[in-house]
Amino acid sequence: MSNQLAFYFDASACSGCKACMAACKDRSDLPVGVNWRKVFQYGGGGWVPDPLDPRYTLPNNIYSYAVSVACMHCENPLCADVCPASAITKQADGTVLINTDLCIGCRYCEWACPYGAPQFNEGTGQMTKCDFCVDLQAQGLNPACVDACVMRALEVGDLDELRQEHGSIDAIEPLPLANITKPALVVKPHRHSSPSGQGAGRINDPFAEEV
Amino acid sequence: MELREWALIAYSVLAQMSVGAFLILGVVHFAATRKAGMEEADRLSDRVLVAIIITLGLGMLASLFHLGSVANAPSAVTNFATSWLSREILIGVVFAVLGIVFSAMQWFKLGSFASRRVIAWITAVVGIALVYSMTQIYMLPTQPAWNNFATPITFFVTTLLLGSLAIGVALVANYAYVQKKNPDCADVQCELLRYVTRWIAVAAVVLVGIELVVIPIYVAYLVATGSAAAMASAKMMVDPYSLVFTLRLVLAFIGAGVFGVFLYQNATNPGQEKMMGYMAYGAFALVLIAEVMGRFLFYATQRGVGLM
Amino acid sequence: MTEKDFLSKALTDIALTRRSFLKWSAALGGSAVLAGGVNYGLKAAAVTAAVGEATWVPSACWHNCGGRCLLTVEVVDGVIQRVKTDDTHEDTPDFPQQRGCVRGRSQRMQVLAADRLKYPMKRKNWSPGGGQKELRGKDEWVRISWDEALDILSSETKRIVKNYGNESIYSVTQGDVNRTLRLFGGHASGWGMTSWGTWVDTPLITGGYDVRYSNTGNDRLRLRDSKLIFMWAANPAVSSNGSPTYNFLQAKKAGAKFIFVDPIYNDSAMVLADDWVPIRPATDLALLLGMAYVMITEDDPEKNPLIDWDFLDAGVVGFDEDHMPEGSDPKDNFKDYVLGTYNSQPRTPEWAAGICGIPPYRIRSLALEYATTKPTTIINGGASTRIHNGSSTSQGFITLACMTGNIGIPGAGVGLSCHNRAGNAGPALVSAGGSSVPGISNPVDARVNYNQSWEAVLTGKYIAAKDDIRDINFQMIYHGGYITANQCTGLSKGIEAHRAVEFVVTQGHFHNTDARYSDLVLPITTQWERYGTFTAGNREALFFSSQSIEPLYEAKDDMWVAVELAKRLGVDPKEVEPFPLKQQIFNRLVGAKVIKSDGSGYEPLVTITASDIAEMGVEGEPQTGKIPYKEFKEKGIYQVPRSPNDKFGFTEFEDFRNDPEAFPRGTESGKIEIYSQPYADKVTGYGFSVKHPLPTYDKVTEGYEDTFGDFENKIKGDYPLQLYTIHYQRRSHSIFDNVPWLREFFPQEFTMSPSDAESRGLKQGDQVLISSRHGKVLRRVHITERMMPGVVTLGQGAWVEMDEKSGIDKAGCTNILNGGIYTDQGNLGFNSCNAQVEKYTGPINLEPDHTWAQRIIIEEA
Repeated sequence: MSNQLAFYFDASACSGCKACMAACKDRSDLPVGVNWRKVFQYGGGGWVPDPLDPRYTLPNNIYSYAVSVACMHCENPLCADVCPASAITKQADGTVLINTDLCIGCRYCEWACPYGAPQFNEGTGQMTKCDFCVDLQAQGLNPACVDACVMRALEVGDLDELRQEHGSIDAIEPLPLANITKPALVVKPHRHSSPSGQGAGRINDPFAEEV
Repeated sequence: MELREWALIAYSVLAQMSVGAFLILGVVHFAATRKAGMEEADRLSDRVLVAIIITLGLGMLASLFHLGSVANAPSAVTNFATSWLSREILIGVVFAVLGIVFSAMQWFKLGSFASRRVIAWITAVVGIALVYSMTQIYMLPTQPAWNNFATPITFFVTTLLLGSLAIGVALVANYAYVQKKNPDCADVQCELLRYVTRWIAVAAVVLVGIELVVIPIYVAYLVATGSAAAMASAKMMVDPYSLVFTLRLVLAFIGAGVFGVFLYQNATNPGQEKMMGYMAYGAFALVLIAEVMGRFLFYATQRGVGLM
Repeated sequence: MTEKDFLSKALTDIALTRRSFLKWSAALGGSAVLAGGVNYGLKAAAVTAAVGEATWVPSACWHNCGGRCLLTVEVVDGVIQRVKTDDTHEDTPDFPQQRGCVRGRSQRMQVLAADRLKYPMKRKNWSPGGGQKELRGKDEWVRISWDEALDILSSETKRIVKNYGNESIYSVTQGDVNRTLRLFGGHASGWGMTSWGTWVDTPLITGGYDVRYSNTGNDRLRLRDSKLIFMWAANPAVSSNGSPTYNFLQAKKAGAKFIFVDPIYNDSAMVLADDWVPIRPATDLALLLGMAYVMITEDDPEKNPLIDWDFLDAGVVGFDEDHMPEGSDPKDNFKDYVLGTYNSQPRTPEWAAGICGIPPYRIRSLALEYATTKPTTIINGGASTRIHNGSSTSQGFITLACMTGNIGIPGAGVGLSCHNRAGNAGPALVSAGGSSVPGISNPVDARVNYNQSWEAVLTGKYIAAKDDIRDINFQMIYHGGYITANQCTGLSKGIEAHRAVEFVVTQGHFHNTDARYSDLVLPITTQWERYGTFTAGNREALFFSSQSIEPLYEAKDDMWVAVELAKRLGVDPKEVEPFPLKQQIFNRLVGAKVIKSDGSGYEPLVTITASDIAEMGVEGEPQTGKIPYKEFKEKGIYQVPRSPNDKFGFTEFEDFRNDPEAFPRGTESGKIEIYSQPYADKVTGYGFSVKHPLPTYDKVTEGYEDTFGDFENKIKGDYPLQLYTIHYQRRSHSIFDNVPWLREFFPQEFTMSPSDAESRGLKQGDQVLISSRHGKVLRRVHITERMMPGVVTLGQGAWVEMDEKSGIDKAGCTNILNGGIYTDQGNLGFNSCNAQVEKYTGPINLEPDHTWAQRIIIEEA
């Protein structure tokens, strides 16, 4: 037992359908533009002349996989460190929460978090982020995203227990290196995923890609 | 770039300019006292002091526009323990308070000279701490474009460069005022003005030199580190901001370099005060634009690591 | 439903009782700060166990997506707070929860959307006869009362019938109002398969499997026995969102190899693919024939058996000259056709490669792999036959499966496996009964193929059958749930047609394309606002949903409109609606059946008591079933528990395969007829094409060859790219297109391969003009190596947003690009279309779709 709540994400099963995004928005009443959980695909590869028949082109290592990320409720939450208003605190069970009674909406935490978790709500003028569905968990229920996943790619649990069951990988592309904030996350890699910092692909999801 | 980001640009430039101006003014007052006595030194600098305080006030007002929830602003100083932003806000408030206190003391000649000098020194140190804390805000492990040597160097260069040129302009304006009001001391004031202005011109040339060296090294550094985010930031200097990037350097060079040289020349002999004045205003205007552009690039080319 | 609701909910009183406080403290480690009322931005509703009572009401997710999962809404003080999906039993791979997809989770944003149609409206510049018809689609709207609306509807209907006859009404509502129209003399209808391509008439070949229930292949548990699964033009992760991909994942975990045959490396491939074979759209038949050639020429029953001769002999007609039917020419057999024995074109891998784009060596290895791996399943999405001239394609799949013997054995299969049978074939294990409402036949027999409808409006003629061209004079178009205008081919002509007729009326939920080009728009209730309904997402589960909210604004049920119209037309409303909806629901409950646990037959599902009947206020008798009515209503679902080797497994053709004599197919010979004169006659009989009894190669109109001006010399033409139109995650066909969340998640990008984009000087995100022989649309380009070169794709179902000045659609409605072309079985050939793409340099600037204003026509009164 580590007293740190964590998410488990199975990248090998995720189909990128974004049901978890919708479930979260629905439960949390989020407006357009604020997505506490985000899903996007990452991939690469190209086309080459077919070595066995150069009249044709062949897919060369074309791959794609999806990642679903919310707040990592990090063990070393930079957002909590940098918030001038002391509005972000780490709870006893590891959950990192934003207190909207204190938040001044300066968006400093947005610069600090490498997962894009804190997001600015234009309507309220404050930062918001995944709160691990504390109210649902208090009723013994799972976070909305976990129960929504049609591929059963999300779980929630104690970080140590999740590591025992699923291993201790916590960073695959396009996630950042885990040593920055120590995310409370266990990831099952996709057959085509690379560790963070070693990938040659790019985010290729129209929802999130560079133009 | 939205309103809130312009607010940050305005605040950081104005606040740094105010700190720089305060520091430079302190040096000016010291040198002027040595040269022409306290009364002349005060006549040279007291009005300028008030102008600095007003500028700082405007900057801090601008900063409020970058908040989403202004109502909760008072809580922003509570995380002194771990947050450089909290520290910066607190130090900024202290600097403003000390600045106002010192200006009032200086203007109304309250307290002894010694006590005023102590307050001045403390205010100066707090001002330096303010700029320092501003640099530390940006030393985030997740922001490679900011988390390096260039941030503190350029922030302090901006502080001193804008500070000196602002003082130059303020002194010219002050002299025009004094000349009308008090023709007797005009010659002494003019001598002091020319003396100080020559030093300001030198400082400006040196400081812009540092800037013009550091900035290209910084961009090369971003490319050399190899991280995707740093590369993306470097690329943005070329596309879409190549015009801003080039212009920023050119205007700084012309303003502080070219105008600075002419400023020095026109400050050497009496009789060229009018041209000297134009040079001082010209240098300040061009460099202010250049520094605002530079700060714009600072925010616009930011790219965080990971999934931001 | 954005900031306003968030704020108003945030202002809702939170009364923290001692009990909930203690629960929270325990969860959060006893943080005393809670007592001070700290707000973490948490949902007010979740804390209101103490305030209002929260009830969970199973509500329908009723769309035509093939998923249809369990959706339950939380209602507090009459307000719907949020939705959740199936949590009625523990979730296991064998007995999975019926979880909803990204659209179901957004359902609240659709039903309660600010742009729901609120009041009946008429077009400002309409008058009887049409008024300024040319303004349809760009006119203003006036709110009217239901009385006035119904008066307009009835008077126009009467006038048009009087002047032009009942045939002049083109009613494509697929709804209750047809009952009224049929009592009033009838109406013309449309026909033509939109979803399942040319699989419709293939029961003539296989004798008896009904494609409408997609009973092909295996159930999901037997699928785990497959050694090799071809996902052929199949993408269940997008097109059958819900359980299917999870089920396929179990097959993968059980050891199945997955090969995807698809123009794009799709999202299902992301999860499942061991291999991907890029293929040009509408060329699958060429690949199949090339594979057949390899099998025929390389088969050696002793050393290299590739063909299951025993099965061909016992169960198949038409393969070789020894197995041809009576009255046919023995030379006209499949084997000799492929070999080119009596024709000039052997269907070699080289020949096939020139059309489908797959190298010959690869075609050969695919053939060998398919032939030597048993059991192999081909999971066919509808996409490969949603083409012009595609009747031979579906026939070809069946032929190859027969050749390799990968049919009728557990783990093997072929055929359409999509929608609510994706990867899970077999008769329904649980189903609702009928409503007992008698059908009303249509006195008018005029049926115009959807591909030809708009042309028929403009020319006054249509093809009724082979050598049978008839006159038709459409003067009234009635739109409803089928969304015909937006969803059928040839919309460019369709807009012209809508401006030609005298009267257009739409009833629905939103101001979609059909409504926009109408004269009269009627607001209709959704299933959440009605007494209840039944839906089924797959064979194992039945959903029973109940009303969760009162009808919004002045929305009325389809049936109410039909009844009111009946009264004004002078036909008997009691015949239109013999009994109310709750009686119909009751009848369906009574008739609901579930399979017995020993698989020997069906038994009643629901136990209904006398007090249940009294409470419902219906007529009927009590009965005994498997679960009590109240429990069924509360849970909203009955799902048959399954486990490996239970009695509910299914393999299509299994009995026939084991004993063709004892279990003959429903063809004349009793066997599978890959040479089928009845099939050829039926297809030819529609009057659009001439079909040979074998799966012969026919050039596909607007397929690969038509990208060339000169195919022989390989000189490309004006429309050098192949466009195929995919199902898109934002929508279920055209439904949900207006939900801002979903627009943000899925921006309706136009997808191109890097080489095609580069040669046109395009960069990621550029605005591109896409043109076909039939229309132009504007979108932003998404460049990805996942798309094969020469092919482009765009999601179908976007609501057209025509820029009147330029004639360019800004929304990317694919039916502006698809033309009204009628071939073969009259199915809609969405995936055979040629296009050109260029960088757009005109004045229109496309803002992201989710920033577009919602179509709120009349503000809330």
